[in-house]
Amino acid sequence: MTIVPNRLGVKFNLKREPALAAADIVPIFQRWIQEHTVDGMLIDVIDYKHVPEGPGVILIADEGDYAFDFSDGQIGLHYIRKRNLPGDMAGALILAFRLALGAALCLESEAPGDIDFDFSHAKISFLDRQNYRNEPARFAAAQDELSAILADIYGGDVALERAYDDPRFSFALRVSAQTEGVDGQKLLARLSARAVSVQ
Amino acid sequence: MSTWKEELADQIPAEMGNLIDTFEAQIELRKQGKLDEKVFAEQRLRKGAYGQRYDNGQRHDGVRTRELSYPSGELVKGPDTLWDAPGMQRIKIPYGGLTAEQLEVLSELADEYADGILHITTRQDIQLHYVHIDDTPDLMRRLAAVDITTQEACGNSVRNITACTLAGVCHDEVFDVSPYADAMMRFLLDHDDVQDFGRKFKVAFSGCAGHACGLVKMHDLGLLAQTREIDGEIKRGFTVFVGGGLGTVPQQAKVLAEFATEEQLLPIAQAVSRVFARLGEKKNRNRARIKFLVSKLGIDEFRREVEEELKTVPHDERHTAYLDRLGDFTYKPAKAGMALNGTPLPDGFSDWYRTNVYHQAQSGYSTITLNTPLGDFTAMQGFQLAEIARRYVGDNIRLSVEQNIVLRWVADADLPAIYREVREIGLGDAGAGTIVDITACPGTDTCKLGIASSRGLTAELRTRLIERINLLPDAVRELKIKVSGCFNSCGQHHVADIGFFGNSRRSGNHKMPHFQVVLGGQWQENAGSYGLAVGAVPAKHIPEVLEALTNRYVAERTEDENFQTWVKNLGRKEIKAMLQPYMKLPSFEEKPEYFSDWGDSRVYTIDDIGVGECAGEVVSLFSLEIARAESAHFEALLALDDGNYPMVDQQAYKAMVLAARALVRTKYLDVGDDYGNIVNEFRSRFYDTELVYDRFAKGKFARYLFKRHDQPPAQVGEDYAHQLIDETQLFIENIHSAEQRINGVIVS
Ligand code: HEM
Ligand code: SF4
Repeated sequence: MTIVPNRLGVKFNLKREPALAAADIVPIFQRWIQEHTVDGMLIDVIDYKHVPEGPGVILIADEGDYAFDFSDGQIGLHYIRKRNLPGDMAGALILAFRLALGAALCLESEAPGDIDFDFSHAKISFLDRQNYRNEPARFAAAQDELSAILADIYGGDVALERAYDDPRFSFALRVSAQTEGVDGQKLLARLSARAVSVQ
Repeated sequence: MSTWKEELADQIPAEMGNLIDTFEAQIELRKQGKLDEKVFAEQRLRKGAYGQRYDNGQRHDGVRTRELSYPSGELVKGPDTLWDAPGMQRIKIPYGGLTAEQLEVLSELADEYADGILHITTRQDIQLHYVHIDDTPDLMRRLAAVDITTQEACGNSVRNITACTLAGVCHDEVFDVSPYADAMMRFLLDHDDVQDFGRKFKVAFSGCAGHACGLVKMHDLGLLAQTREIDGEIKRGFTVFVGGGLGTVPQQAKVLAEFATEEQLLPIAQAVSRVFARLGEKKNRNRARIKFLVSKLGIDEFRREVEEELKTVPHDERHTAYLDRLGDFTYKPAKAGMALNGTPLPDGFSDWYRTNVYHQAQSGYSTITLNTPLGDFTAMQGFQLAEIARRYVGDNIRLSVEQNIVLRWVADADLPAIYREVREIGLGDAGAGTIVDITACPGTDTCKLGIASSRGLTAELRTRLIERINLLPDAVRELKIKVSGCFNSCGQHHVADIGFFGNSRRSGNHKMPHFQVVLGGQWQENAGSYGLAVGAVPAKHIPEVLEALTNRYVAERTEDENFQTWVKNLGRKEIKAMLQPYMKLPSFEEKPEYFSDWGDSRVYTIDDIGVGECAGEVVSLFSLEIARAESAHFEALLALDDGNYPMVDQQAYKAMVLAARALVRTKYLDVGDDYGNIVNEFRSRFYDTELVYDRFAKGKFARYLFKRHDQPPAQVGEDYAHQLIDETQLFIENIHSAEQRINGVIVS
């Protein structure tokens, strides 16, 4: 069984650069707090858009943070689960996927057509160097189990590869669903159903 | 599954490891309600773990104040500071010096425990934000494994020791102050004489008198490199300044000693610490910095006190031992120095070269400054930069008080190549040290005391200025801007040409964020003079105010007027008149945007301002020391659970000695760390005098300590371990009640 990392991130990228600027995200996230739009004990919004390829604008919550994120030079929605992760990997991944997806869909509805996510691909980060050194052997050890969970999440085969070769970077994987054009709403519906069965 | 504690056991120096284990035990004790919240807060701050805005469980979301219901419920990590609320971790980087490996570990920690961002502070520290208190012991262990400590990064103690970023490579320096700063940091760290301060204590070193870099005159203790001819020999030493400081009431330091030799440096620092601990204000924290003591006594009397104290400072070979190792303090460049010649220059290189490159005293080498906007950079940039550093400069990385990263020992021939590489990772902006390179404190982003958004304003000004940088006249380009979110001046607004600090004003029924404008502070001559507050302006007007000021400065200044003299000559009245049009407050209905702060869409409120943790409340030295004894006792309990009986014996014995020491130190500060000494002093001062006697049990509890001390067990079994733990508990209780009883009669 693969150990659940201390922190687990899931990022979906946008298909193209939006007209909406990072500065416009601050009021959106602040309104999300007022209206409790996304899941979690929402705390505050912090703005790092001045940092190149950084976490952009982050909606900080107790259990996990939602970032309008610029890392790897790609704009996307990055959810990082920090606390209360389920004890099993499948549960943890389903949870992180579901919350990332939920927030991404909320963001799409803020600027329909302009904010448009590619849900067929995701980056998954295991922020825990104690259990996940970014090394090929670590990937080899976890690959089968993770592929199976992710295939289950996507409802079809997935391809997995390490996002970074540099052993100092976090252990992160790029997952690609083999079926293009994954529909976010449908995926969310699948995961919501799964989440119930997991608990 | 191993833990970081196990994994790094061999790499963490024992003393550091102990301090962290103690803190971890205190976390557990606090969770169980067995450690007072104020004492825990003081211990936590001493470890650099600060509170953050909204940790009292309330936040105004723009419409109403919302309760933040953290899962830990009522559990607090200090007065009004909820356990689960994200906090800030300050990490001490003495004189800003970092190795490539240290930078990598810091980046890992930002990645795993914070929000992915490393923040450089105005005192060459690194801060991580949104850190959970439960993660801090491992975070500290990972730092300790690469020789970084967070000990006394906050709290009423000796904070990070700063020094010029150019120390060792500067043309103007008298000598390199880095090894002295390093020696003082190691000497004072967790030293007995720095535990009982009423307030924080900041030390800075500077290599020369004329330039700004070290800022010694705004520090509690400032050391300025000097040499003197003594008996025909050139001796190194320092002019010692004392009692400077920013804050609400800024004060220029006074000269304590015109010249102290390098042998006298550490004893003087120790004596000053002892005088501050003994005579400094403890109750009223607003008057507790050493500057108030120096003012109260006058510098002559203060000097006399220090001279008297010097006679009582016990001999310590560490006072001078470091001098033998000064020669080891050398820099290893990654490459041989070589002139820049003929290489094709990348786009943007010339602008960058003009502002971000300094030719070192060592020919063929340069120091380059990497602009980090608002002092922030990502974990990814940290990793990439560490790798660039290894190839071009080795471990010669420093952080600057202007919140930038500095790489020293770049071979001149490599400048175009390294420029290309740092630009590639987003750290190649030109304009270091110019008007676009603005310094800012955390402000309302994360600071509980923030009144206005220093970072929001800074980001806005920066964006606007960068767009026009090439159009700005040189006189404007050279100005320095510094922004604080409130009067506490963590952003050092007093020593900028143009400083701002946050406050608020009312218009109708609404509050409006404002900034007080402070003009003409001096960065040169080690923060030679402080600026003049000329009026408060709505935050949203600040960009226009800046433009009006700089336009007029350019238009009216005479050839030999710099900004300071121009401000002085123009006078406060005239400047105020210039600001007047910007001071008018529109109504909420007219201009609602004026009632939101920069970078924030919420309607402005001051309801979120909390009780700040400057440094934690002053807790008596006894409470702090007895808390250490209690955590050793707690570790003994853990060892008992593990069936590790030798460890039980070790920790329980340690707990008793620490408790005895806590009591001894209320009468005799210099008892030191030796167990034998402590037990002897305890015996003669408290046992033989019967001061520690319990009403009924008399000296029984004290004898538990003597028994363990005089007859260490040959073998430690389970029964013995249980008994020792119980005895230790009783002994600690006995010390508590004895202290309460005796406290009335202890005079000092
Ligand atoms: C009454 C409480 C406080 C006072 C009087 C105070 C005062 C100061 C002063 C005068 C400096 C800086 C300059 C210098 O000496 O070089 C400073 C540094 C700083 N302060 Fe504060 N401060 C207070 C509380 C806070 C709080 C609550 C925060 C935010 C959590 C904060 C954040 C900082 C930072 C980031 C620095 C630069 C840091 C460093 O030491 O590395 N301060 N403070
Ligand atoms: S100046 Fe004020 S707002 Fe800024 S960090 Fe210091 S206490 Fe906080």
